[in-house]
Amino acid sequence: MTYSVEISGATFTFHSWGAAYWEEERMLLISDLHLGKIMHFRKYGAAVPRLALLENFRRLEKLEAQFKPATICFLGDLFHSHKNREWELFQGWTYGSKAKLILVEGNHDILSPLLYEELGMEVLPEWNIGPFWLTHHPAETDQKFNIAGHIHPAVRLGGRGGQRMRLPCFYLRSNQLILPSFGAFTGSHTITPEAGDRFVVLAGDELVALEQRGKKKTLSLNQPS
Amino acid sequence: MSSENRSYEALLGIAEMWFRKAGWLPFPFQKKTWKAFLDGYHGLLNAPTGSGKTYALWFPILLHYIQQNPEYRTKKTPGLKAIWITPLRALSQEIKQSAERIIADLEIPFEVGIRTGDTSNAERARQRKQLPDLLITTPESLQLLLASSGYPKKFASCYAIVVDEWHELLGSKRGVQMELALSRLKTVSPHLRIWGISATIGNLEQARQVLLGPESEAFDRSVMIRADIRKDIQVRSLLPETMEKFPWRGHLGLHMSEAVIPIIEASKTTLLFTNTRGQCEIWFRHLLETHPEYAGEIAMHHGSIDKDTRLWVEQAIRNESLKAVVCTSSLDLGVDFAPVETVVQIGGPKGVARFLQRAGRSGHRPGQQSRIYFLPTHAIELIEASALQEAVREQAVEDRIPYLNSFDVLIQYLTTLAVSDGFHPDEIYQEVRQTFCYQTLSKEQWAWLLNHLVLGSQSLRTYDEYKRLEVLEDGRFKVTNRGIAMRHRFQIGTIVGDADITVRYKKGGYIGTIEESFISKLNRGDVFTFAGRTLEFLQVKGMQALVRNSQAKSSKTPSWMGGRLTLSSEMSKILRDELYTANLETEKQSTEIRALQPLFDRQREESIVPGPGQFLIETFETRDGHHHIFYPFEGRFVHEAMASLLSYRISLLGKATFSLAYNDYGFELLSEEAVNIQEVLDNNLFTAEHLIEDLQKSLNMTEMARRKFRDIAVISGLVFTGYPKKGIKMKHLQSNSQLLFEVFRDYEPDNLLFQQAFTETFEHQLEEGRLRQALERIATQEVVWKDCRRPTPFSFPIITDRLREKLTNEKLADRIRRMTQILTGGK
Repeated sequence: MTYSVEISGATFTFHSWGAAYWEEERMLLISDLHLGKIMHFRKYGAAVPRLALLENFRRLEKLEAQFKPATICFLGDLFHSHKNREWELFQGWTYGSKAKLILVEGNHDILSPLLYEELGMEVLPEWNIGPFWLTHHPAETDQKFNIAGHIHPAVRLGGRGGQRMRLPCFYLRSNQLILPSFGAFTGSHTITPEAGDRFVVLAGDELVALEQRGKKKTLSLNQPS
Repeated sequence: MSSENRSYEALLGIAEMWFRKAGWLPFPFQKKTWKAFLDGYHGLLNAPTGSGKTYALWFPILLHYIQQNPEYRTKKTPGLKAIWITPLRALSQEIKQSAERIIADLEIPFEVGIRTGDTSNAERARQRKQLPDLLITTPESLQLLLASSGYPKKFASCYAIVVDEWHELLGSKRGVQMELALSRLKTVSPHLRIWGISATIGNLEQARQVLLGPESEAFDRSVMIRADIRKDIQVRSLLPETMEKFPWRGHLGLHMSEAVIPIIEASKTTLLFTNTRGQCEIWFRHLLETHPEYAGEIAMHHGSIDKDTRLWVEQAIRNESLKAVVCTSSLDLGVDFAPVETVVQIGGPKGVARFLQRAGRSGHRPGQQSRIYFLPTHAIELIEASALQEAVREQAVEDRIPYLNSFDVLIQYLTTLAVSDGFHPDEIYQEVRQTFCYQTLSKEQWAWLLNHLVLGSQSLRTYDEYKRLEVLEDGRFKVTNRGIAMRHRFQIGTIVGDADITVRYKKGGYIGTIEESFISKLNRGDVFTFAGRTLEFLQVKGMQALVRNSQAKSSKTPSWMGGRLTLSSEMSKILRDELYTANLETEKQSTEIRALQPLFDRQREESIVPGPGQFLIETFETRDGHHHIFYPFEGRFVHEAMASLLSYRISLLGKATFSLAYNDYGFELLSEEAVNIQEVLDNNLFTAEHLIEDLQKSLNMTEMARRKFRDIAVISGLVFTGYPKKGIKMKHLQSNSQLLFEVFRDYEPDNLLFQQAFTETFEHQLEEGRLRQALERIATQEVVWKDCRRPTPFSFPIITDRLREKLTNEKLADRIRRMTQILTGGK
C-alpha cells in the first residue's frame, strides 16, 4: 500500500491512491482532486456515476484515519470549475476533518479564496516550508526542492512480448517531486523519462518504484529500501 | 371497379411510355415494384446497383401522386410527399437527377431537395419553413428533422419513404437510427409506404423484418421483390513471375504494380480498389512516380478527400476523361459509372459481397460482363484469390447482423424527441417495441432509460444537479435547456469512427480530412502524403492541421482505422477448402495454388500444410520471445476471440502474460516463457464449454468492450465531441470515454450502457456464434503440433503484425517487476 523515500532529509510515504505523507511534518499532500468535475459533467447532461464523486471523500477520510496528519495540503486544482453542489459535500468533509487544511492555488482554482477561508482553510499562491517549495505548477529552482502537481504524470511501460501498459505515477527528479492526480475521473499525461528520473507507479493496491538509469528508454526496478 | 382498373393500367402506361421514349424496356422487377407500391404494399427490393432500381421506386411514388391528384399539372398540393434515404451523401445528386428527369418529363411541378451534412445554412433555413416535395437525405439528417419542433406536421403529408442501400445500414447503428425514425413516421405519416432497396446479402428476409418491424402491420402487408439480375463476373488473379521474390507478409502490393499497367492500357477506365485509404495514397503516388506519363490521366478517390475533388473525380469517370482511379470503399456504392470497363482489387477484399459489389462496378450495364483482376499483396493472399473465384461461382454472400437493444441509439433518439416537441413515454414505448432492435425491450429497461435521462441515475439525490430531460406538467418528457438542445443537435451526426481533422494549407485552402490519431503522431516539419500531395506538417490549430507543400522525397503515409476487415464465415470456409487442395495432385489445383508451390515446400520443411482433418499448431523461439501459432483459418475476429479465450485458459494453469496477434489465417500467443502445448491439449482447452464465462473473464474482453464503449459514450451523449470547427480536440473525448469506462466499471457496472459495450463485443466483435462453430470443428480435427527452429511462411504475416493485444492474470505490480526490460516512451 505504501512506499517510503527520503528527500532532502525528510521522509515521505507514498500511498497507492496518489497521496504523499511527510512524516516529520505530519503533512498529507494531495494534488489535483478536481472536485466538482463529475457534477459539472452531470450538469451538462452526461450521467457520470454519482458514486464516483463520493469515492473522493471516502478516500480522503480513510487517508486521514490512516495517517492522522496535522496538516492536509492540497497542491492545487482542488475544485475543477465553478461552484456546484459538490462544494456542499466538500464542506461537509472539512467539518469532519481534524487537520489544518491548506490550498496551494492551481489554474483550475477559480473559486474565490474567501469561500475556502470561510471553511477555515488557508489559501496560498505557493508555500515555502522547510527545505521544500510547494507549488501547483512544477517550478524550476536551484534553491529548494519543489513539490508540485498539475501535470497528472503517468508512465508508459513495455516489456518483452509486446506488453504495454500506462499507469499514473509519482514523478521524482533530482530537485522535484510531482504528485499524480488524486481525483477519480481526472485522467493523466504520459511522461517521457530522462536519465536519472524516478517513478513510483500506482499499480492497483501496490506501488512499484522504477528508475531510468543509464540506458536510454529503459527503466529498471528500484526495490524499496 | 373497371374505371379504377383503367386508371391503374393508365398509370402504369405512363411509366412504360416514358421507358419506351428513352429507348428502354422496363424490367419485370421494376413493373412488379410499381404495381406493389400502387396496391399499397410496403416492401424490400433486392436489386444491385446499376440495375435501374431508382426508377423502380421513383415512378410509383410519382404515379401515386398523379392518381391522387388528377389535376397535378396545374394544381399542387403542399407539403412533403416522399423521402429517399441514402447512406452516402455522395449518392444524393445522382438520385436527385433521376427524380428530376421523370418529373420534368411528366410535367409534375415538384421540387426535389437534398438535405445532408453538406447542405448550406440558407438552404436549411428554407427547408425549415417548407420541406421540398421530394426530399433526399441521410439517416442522420432525418433524425435532425425529428429534432425540430412541430415535425409531425411536416411529415403528415408524406406517403412514401425509400431506404436505399439498406444492406449497408442494416448491420450498423445508423440502421437502428433508421428503425427508430420509421417507428415514429408510421404514426405521424398515416399513409406512409415503406420501401427498402438492398443488394444481395445472406439474410434478405431478415432485412425486410428489420426494415418494417418484425410483427408489424407493415410487415404483414409487405412484399419482397428480387431483381434476379445475375451478372457474369470474370475473375482473374495477377500472378507474380517468380514466387521467390514475392513477400511473405502483408504488403502494399507495389512490387506487382507493373502488372496493372497493361490492364489500365487495355481499358477505357479502370478502377483500382485498395482496402485502406493509406494504401490508396501510396498506390496513387507510386503509379505517378513510375509512370509520370499518367499525370492528369489518373486520379484518387477516398472518403477523406475534399468533397469537391471527389465529385470532380466522379464526374471525370463519367466523362471518360480518366484512365484509372485508385480508390477505396468510397466508390463501392451507387453512382453509375458506365465507362468503367475493368476493376482491379489490390489485396484481399475479405468478403464475397464486397468483392461482387466491386466487380459489379465494371460493365455497369445490364447484360454486360464484369471483369475484375485480383492483385495479391503477399503470398498467402493467393489462396484468397483462388478462393474468391470459387466464392463468385457459388455466390456465397454474407449475412449482415442487425443490432439488438442498442441503448445508446435509443437514448439519443429519446433526447431527439425531447428536443423537438417532447414525448409521452407510453406512446413511444409502444412504437419502439415494434422495431426489430427493441422487440425485447422490457418495462424495467425502459424505466431505467427514462431514469437515466431525467435523473442521470436510478435514484434521486438532493445534492445532484444532473440536467437533461424534464418531465412537464402534462407528462411530456422535454429538454428545456437550450444548451443541452444545441449540443444534442450537433451530436446527432456522430455515429462514426475516429475523429477527423481538417487538413489545410497555412495560406488557406482546404485539402481534406484525416484521422486525428495520425496527425497526433506528427511533429512539426514531418512530411506526409495526403490527397496525392507531399505535405509538410506545421501545426494543429483547433480541429485543423496546417500544412504546406514539400519537395521532400520520402514521407509518411496516413494509416486509417477503417482498414482492418475480417474474413466472413462464408469466405473462410471457401478459403480453407482452397488451402486443402495444396495437398492434392497438381492437376486438381488452381493456378494460384500451383504458383504457391515454392512457399508450400518451404512450409513443409519444418511444418505441414494442413489438410481438412488437421489443426496446425506451430511453436518456435525468436528474440521477441516464445511464439505459439494456431491456424484455424476463421477470419480475424474469430481469431481475436479465440486467442483471448485460449490465453485466458492457459493462464489458469499458471501465471502468465501473453501478447496476442492475429490475422485472417491464424493467431499467435507470444510470451516470455514457452507454453507446454501438450498440456494445452491434455486439458482440452479448445472446448466450447463455458465459452461465455471464460471470454468474459479474459482481460482482453474488457479491452474490446472499452473500445466499443467509446462510440456508445458518444452516441448516448455521455461525452460531447465538440462543436464543428470550434474544436475540442478528439484526444479529449478519447480520454474522457476511457475515463468514463473506468468510472462505470468501478462505480456503476450494472449501467445498461456499460453492459451494452460487452454485449456488442460478444455479438458483433467476437461473433460468438461463429466462434462456437469453429471450436466444434477443431474438436473433430487431429491436432498437429510442430516445434520449429524458425518462423514458417504461414506464421510470418502473423508474427510481424504490430497491432497487439495482451492478456494476463498477474497482478499489475508483479507484471512490472517481472518485465526483464522495462521500456518506456514510444507510441
